[in-house]
Amino acid sequence: MSTGADERADFRSGRIENLNRTIAHLDLDAFFVSVELQRRPELKGLPVIVSGTGPRSVVTTASYEARKFGVGSAMPTAKALRLCPEAVVVPPDGPAYKRMSATVMDLIRHHVPQVEQAGLDEAYADLTGMLAPSAAMRRVVHDIRTETGLHASVGIGPNRLVAKVASDAEKPDGFVFLSQEQARMRFADASTRLLPGVGPKTRERLERLQIYTVDDLSEASVQALTDEFGSRQGPWLRSRARFEDDTPVQTDREAVSESRETTFSVDVEGIGELREKMAPLVLELCNALETHGHRGRTVGIKIRYSDFETHTRARTLEHSVSDRETVGRIARQLLDEFQPDRPVRLLGVRVAGFSGAKEKPREQLSLPFG
Amino acid sequence: MSSTSEKGTIGLKIERDLLLEGLQSATRIASSKTSITALSGVQLAAGPEGIELRATDLELSLRLPLAGEVTSPGEVVLPARLFTDVVRALPAGQVTLKARASQQDVEITSGSATFDLKTLRAEDFPTLPQSSGDSVVVLPAEVLDATIRRVERAASTDPSRPVLTGVLVQAEAGTLRMVATDSYRLSVKETKLETPLTNGFEANVPARALQEAVRLAKGTKGDPAADGEEALAKGSVRIAVQENQIVFDLDGTVLASRLIDGQFPKYKELIPDEFDHELKFNSAELSDVVRRISLLAQRTKPLTLSFEKGSLTISAETPDIGEARESIPINYDGELLEIGFNPDYLRDGIESAGDEEIVLKLLTANRPGLIESGSEGGFLYLIMPIRLGS
Repeated sequence: MSTGADERADFRSGRIENLNRTIAHLDLDAFFVSVELQRRPELKGLPVIVSGTGPRSVVTTASYEARKFGVGSAMPTAKALRLCPEAVVVPPDGPAYKRMSATVMDLIRHHVPQVEQAGLDEAYADLTGMLAPSAAMRRVVHDIRTETGLHASVGIGPNRLVAKVASDAEKPDGFVFLSQEQARMRFADASTRLLPGVGPKTRERLERLQIYTVDDLSEASVQALTDEFGSRQGPWLRSRARFEDDTPVQTDREAVSESRETTFSVDVEGIGELREKMAPLVLELCNALETHGHRGRTVGIKIRYSDFETHTRARTLEHSVSDRETVGRIARQLLDEFQPDRPVRLLGVRVAGFSGAKEKPREQLSLPFG
Repeated sequence: MSSTSEKGTIGLKIERDLLLEGLQSATRIASSKTSITALSGVQLAAGPEGIELRATDLELSLRLPLAGEVTSPGEVVLPARLFTDVVRALPAGQVTLKARASQQDVEITSGSATFDLKTLRAEDFPTLPQSSGDSVVVLPAEVLDATIRRVERAASTDPSRPVLTGVLVQAEAGTLRMVATDSYRLSVKETKLETPLTNGFEANVPARALQEAVRLAKGTKGDPAADGEEALAKGSVRIAVQENQIVFDLDGTVLASRLIDGQFPKYKELIPDEFDHELKFNSAELSDVVRRISLLAQRTKPLTLSFEKGSLTISAETPDIGEARESIPINYDGELLEIGFNPDYLRDGIESAGDEEIVLKLLTANRPGLIESGSEGGFLYLIMPIRLGS
């Protein structure tokens, strides 16, 4: 049993450790394109775009040569080809990227224990307490280069936000280590778009408040931001601009949600038609949940308008569910309540908040009525 | 009264205790979350017919007459919570209220204390339903009370299933019946009426409206000597059901509620005709065991009821927290039966039965169980199990 003095000491050391949090973000440079270039060295030095070929395809990755023409990720391929007509379009090879991604993640985990994979081509690592965090990350980059031939950019900072922005600052082959203050100074004049979480719509709304730069936002009145964005997002936006972030690196990779979504080949408008499109997604999702033995307490939907503005709505229930009737009913209600008012490009359904997978499956049964 | 009253003016004298009692009821009805500020207020109206306190959240509305002296007729809307807090803080005795139109406030004086409260926009306060003469059923408040108490816990609180947030009320001939379900359990309570009804009604009523009606009825100080045949016995409730609303008239206090749209589930066919096991319990004893063992059924973990020859073992287990079990002797003579229940649902059922003895009827582990009151009858509680993993 610990004495009061011990507890204080524990508390203090805990705080000190907290103050010294060191987080790294590693981002592979032009990942899909780089994988393709390894297989097809003859394309090296050319503008290459990895993209599907359908009329609605978007650019997943562009080589740095193509980026010089203004081509960027998520841009419609048709537009990319107008900007850069000589670009070589390579169809994406998902399985190959996944294999390569797994190799890279293993290499990172070899040098740092606390890793959260944030995508196929990016990961956060918690380096807190390491004696030489920079050196560890340089070894990671070196190993990735020699083992896979891929290039990576690394950002290191006191939290995820600084690390993420720093890794992006000097791509490709970037390696940037910033304190919170240094980040604020370095990006003071950058557009608010620099900050993850500020999209084009948010930027527009910020500009209406005469907020253009990261610095403007960091000094903006909380009241004004709250009036425009609400009591959660308003203050949150300002803390982003101050590079404050205490989100932990989540090393637990156990599945906590499952979703199904579909991008329509032609935008869908009208609640009736959307409901129809939703039914097969619900069916597919619930079948997968059953197969994996998963049940979740949160049912959510995702809607992306034709202008890529994306919204999600979710409801958390008293009991975890996986059955088609309940998931379908709640998803439909969320859709009805959301009332999409524009053509919809993508529709998704999600069940999250899985109950512990290791526990026995226990299900509150319901009376059999609608 | 309201049509002729001038908005923004008023003058009256009233006993502090009376006003506070009225305000406490009205504040419960006033909206707590609304974009229309006036709905978070109470309306005070004074006219030749007397003084009335009004509040609504657009679903439920209340008109409450208050005895007092009108010095100047009119209507004002005051912030409910603040007004109540102010009146509560005043000493007993007479309170004087006087609107000051130019200042848009109301001066409240009692002894040497003076408060000037700014009024809310009276224009935004809706006209509230009146008591009406259509298809009126008169029920003793205690019957209403005894019935709603037995079913209210089974009503759903899930806003995504609005139909289930109501209580189905059926009043016909000699019976008042209420039914509530959240789809995991279902309660039915029938109460015999001493005086059979000539009119009847059936409506899906928000549980909150029924609870509020009972609460108001208990506080009503009826005057049976008034108005001859029309007079109501103390604590009687006149109920009128109109198209989409139900109006409770409690000796001049009028509570109205929107009815819930949609078809209430056909519940009768859900109740199995026959059960394999029928077990009698002392309610208090069983309830105590359930309450104790439930301490270790956390995070929606079930209570497991294991029936074997001569005994029932109730157990619970929460990983990383601990486990508990307790056995009681019972008259069970079947195969081993293990059935899981949500601890709260089981306890609600035992307690709602409101009887010294209850009967628990079971089929199999994944079929509904039924709790009945032992002697009194008229109460059913159907409870769905939690499927126990193998």
